[in-house]
Amino acid sequence: MKTIFFTGKGGVGKSTLSAAAAWQLAESGKRVLAISFDPAHNLGDIFGRTLGHKVTRFSANLDLRETDLDEAAAEYIRRNTSILTEVYSYTKAFNLDRYFKVLRHSPGVEEYAALTALEDLLRTSDDYDVVVIDTPPTGLTLRILALPRISITWVDRLRRIRRDILDKRHTVHSITGTFSEEGQKLAYEEKDDRVMQKLTELFDRYVAVARHLESDANRVAVVFNPDYLSLRESQRILDGLSDLNLGVNVAFNNKYTQGLSEIADSMERELFDGRDAPPPVHRIPWEPYRREKSYEISYDLTQLFAL
Amino acid sequence: MSEHQPNFLIRLWRSLRAFLRGIDQAQRERVVALTAYEARELENMFVLMLLGSFAGMPSPPSFLAVELLPHLEHEIRVLNRRAESSTDALAEIMGTIDADA
Ligand SMILES: Nc1ncnc2c1ncn2[C@@H]1O[C@H](COP(=O)(O)OP(=O)(O)OP(=O)(O)O)[C@@H](O)[C@H]1O
Ligand SMILES: [Mg+2]
Repeated sequence: MKTIFFTGKGGVGKSTLSAAAAWQLAESGKRVLAISFDPAHNLGDIFGRTLGHKVTRFSANLDLRETDLDEAAAEYIRRNTSILTEVYSYTKAFNLDRYFKVLRHSPGVEEYAALTALEDLLRTSDDYDVVVIDTPPTGLTLRILALPRISITWVDRLRRIRRDILDKRHTVHSITGTFSEEGQKLAYEEKDDRVMQKLTELFDRYVAVARHLESDANRVAVVFNPDYLSLRESQRILDGLSDLNLGVNVAFNNKYTQGLSEIADSMERELFDGRDAPPPVHRIPWEPYRREKSYEISYDLTQLFAL
Repeated sequence: MSEHQPNFLIRLWRSLRAFLRGIDQAQRERVVALTAYEARELENMFVLMLLGSFAGMPSPPSFLAVELLPHLEHEIRVLNRRAESSTDALAEIMGTIDADA
């Protein structure tokens, strides 16, 4: 299973091109899932279907789905609020209400919901040859892609402290034959410690996502237009991705017309000159908008992703 | 007199052994107390690190805390006790995360 992320500034044509790529790849015989992570979905509009969390079969080889990040984040908070209320209801000192209020507005909940959705997607999409992903706005996309690595670093640090704690408990246990405080038996071995188990589970989950993103099975496409408005943001995407050790495999200069060739030339130079491994750039011609089948474009995209 | 001697030696040996055991016992108790104290310190630090994001400290993404909190009852108790007994909670937090270093 390969993934292709379509990134780019708002309005440049991410959804249009990811839909077109998904459609063409499916027609060429690959089993394809097109999924939108953009809270402002328009994959459904492009295919003329109402989409949701459940897969919609569009054609023999093409499935469509939309992930609702807001709903996923809300669900995450609901679920954890009830778990934590159950565990900590006895303690007044641990101010639960305040905690939940912070949680609701804490940065990262949306990213985490997205990460969880992404992880879920990777785990359950083995039946597809290609998963085409329409991404949310740049900032959020970069934060989502960065999250696995950031989390791995933190989980690793926490695991080291946890190991120290268990070592100390182990020492006490081997001298006294027990380790309990206030009548509560505490784990002193990694295999019995639920915190350690959870940390290891999280570690493995994030490593799996990070590995996939950095692997040969992942493609990143960047879309821009021959206008200077999209230049800055495209640069930010390229820089952000390279900070994450992610390369761009293919670039689309979309909505191109002959009259814009000079601008297109100079933009492509500014974007890619001097970068390591600049991607091939494809100029996708401006085509008058059609109400029907706007996922059908004349440019052949099937060979561009080295699938 | 001479037949009392072995008895005396045995008694001396026994009390010496008891004495040494006492030292050993005290020593072990001290090690246990110290190690248990260190474990509590680390538990405290672990939770502070984890919950720091809720107080605006550089810390792991808050969802990591949410994932782990259900299993951290004991550590939260330790933290609460420490917070109650500590006169300068902020200094303690800063000290624990080495922010004043
Ligand atoms: N090659 C093209 N020729 C003409 N119009 C195009 C072309 N590509 C995209 N468009 C039009 O540009 C508009 C924006 O395209 P699209 O919705 O695909 O962009 P997007 O990057 O997904 O935007 P958003 O960030 O809002 O999700 C749409 O009206 C679409 O029909
Ligand atoms: Mg879009």
